[in-house]
Amino acid sequence: MDMKKTYIPRLDDILKGGTPPGTSVLFNAIPGMLCDIFGYQIIAQRIRNNKEIGFIYTNTRTPAEISRVFDKYGWDIMTPLQSGQLFFVDSISPMMGVPPIGKYCIDDFNKSKDTVLCAINDIAGGTAVIENVATLIDSIGANNTMELIKTWNEAANKHDVNMIYIFTRWDYEDRMIEQLIDLFNCEIELFGIEERVMYRQVYVVVKSSWSTISRTKTFFELVMPGGVKVFIPKLLVTGPYNAGKTAFVHAISQDAVSVERQAYELFPTTVGLDIGHVDYKGFSADIFGTPGQERFDLLLEPLAREAIGAFIVIDSTQPNTFARAKEMINMCRAEVIPKIIVANKQDLSGAMRPEEIKKRMALWEDVHIVPVSVKKNKGINQTLNALFDLIYRV
Amino acid sequence: MIQSTRSGIAGLDELIGGGFPNNTITLVYGPPKTGKSIFCYQFLHQAITDDEYCLYIMTDYNLPQLEETMMYFKWFIHDYFTKKQLYVMDIASGSIGSVQKETASFKISSPQNPTEIISEIIEELQSIFQKTHTFRSILDSATTLFAYNSPILMIRVLKSYTMRIKLAGSTGIITYTEGVVDSQIETMLKATVDNIVHMDGKKITVEAMMGCDHISANYKITDEGIIII
Repeated sequence: MDMKKTYIPRLDDILKGGTPPGTSVLFNAIPGMLCDIFGYQIIAQRIRNNKEIGFIYTNTRTPAEISRVFDKYGWDIMTPLQSGQLFFVDSISPMMGVPPIGKYCIDDFNKSKDTVLCAINDIAGGTAVIENVATLIDSIGANNTMELIKTWNEAANKHDVNMIYIFTRWDYEDRMIEQLIDLFNCEIELFGIEERVMYRQVYVVVKSSWSTISRTKTFFELVMPGGVKVFIPKLLVTGPYNAGKTAFVHAISQDAVSVERQAYELFPTTVGLDIGHVDYKGFSADIFGTPGQERFDLLLEPLAREAIGAFIVIDSTQPNTFARAKEMINMCRAEVIPKIIVANKQDLSGAMRPEEIKKRMALWEDVHIVPVSVKKNKGINQTLNALFDLIYRV
Repeated sequence: MIQSTRSGIAGLDELIGGGFPNNTITLVYGPPKTGKSIFCYQFLHQAITDDEYCLYIMTDYNLPQLEETMMYFKWFIHDYFTKKQLYVMDIASGSIGSVQKETASFKISSPQNPTEIISEIIEELQSIFQKTHTFRSILDSATTLFAYNSPILMIRVLKSYTMRIKLAGSTGIITYTEGVVDSQIETMLKATVDNIVHMDGKKITVEAMMGCDHISANYKITDEGIIII
């Protein structure tokens, strides 16, 4: 099959080459994600690399604004606009009271159907970006919108046009969302990793009619210029001196490496980094363990900035180190990223129970503490489960 | 005792037990020209006095205009903004292609693009949240957003907005001009907030707030702002 690349990093691998002509794709995003950038990136790259033709239907950004966005991301829009390779179906300027720009202009949402059909006819074999489906739903109703999409997708299929829909999923009813999703060959969900504020973005292909999918979660960020960039998530392991961080990193990862030497301290201790990698339940991440001594605190911040979750390892028998643990939590911004307190050394007598530790550290009610004995290999999987549950709750 | 955030309106805080309950959102609504924006300026000025952070979302004026208007009341925000305690989201200049550069504490968005608005608010919340877990937020006003978007869509957006800023720890106000959308939408709007304050030009009424429903008092607008008389 002749696949059209999406030019979104990793997405073409996940979709086995890209999207077949004539199919429809829905980018289904929770509020707070700039989901339209995905559509712009696909059409901009296809125009540039494949000499494709296409259009952008817009009811949220004016064509002038879209041009500025393309500029910011470093995608040329003027050349294809001038040559007619790309055009707008402008469904926003009339509502804003500014002069419309584009081959087609829609001054009444009820005229959307025929106008977009004309536009699809014009770009046989090309790509169309439709944004935003949410605005359509709340302007003409969900049923009418779904009728439109069905008609457009049929026409697109006939003309080998690839339809890319952008949808911000506000608080719509689940039943409506299900019906909507049914209309597309492929659905890609965009969501955030949150700990009171969203701080990381993820996309996942949840449905594709032409390829089997693995629901791999791909972390990404939007970079100007450049567009969607993926990165390998990092998990941070930190905690006070001699809490058992290195042993913990080795326990949760395959082939962990420790950069250490016999320091002047009483115990062999990490003065470099523990580096590992974990593949657990479809989730893949690099692990970084930091030294606990204060003189290495400068390492914490840059590592924490990249991290999507943190394990704070503490020695449950040493309440005098809890203040230091809390200081490290604050220092590594771990209040913003999901974290699990790993209450290690539970095998020793005098180890404090999680409730007791929570009280002593004066932690928020919802902070998770998992009792662990790394030495006895107890509770390790529970820590991974607990952290991934936090990371992926949506 | 419930922790509260002082409104900054002389006389009002005494009536409502010290201020707005922390981590709640208050709708300030009423007919045009009754002092809703001045309420916002005063709320912002109180943030400066109390050394708190503030996220200010403006839809009808830009930052220099806000600064100028507040100067009339002898409230100065320049240093506060420079110190990066004031986070601004300018939705007034968005669609015209403002030349101002966006920074961590200054974002521009367009009124008809709620997806972008919420996305940029989240970016600002990320920066604020690293510094504090209690801050003020002001949205002046929802009215403009209703004018540019389908009202039902706007209700969804405001729900998402209040959920986000409350999770991040904010105590906030949202202004709205009475009668701009139909009564059904107004009812939904009131359901997205915690407290409701009505201003009619003469009388300010707390229509809903935990523990102090239907308190009202007369007010006037002076060169020191809103004053309860």
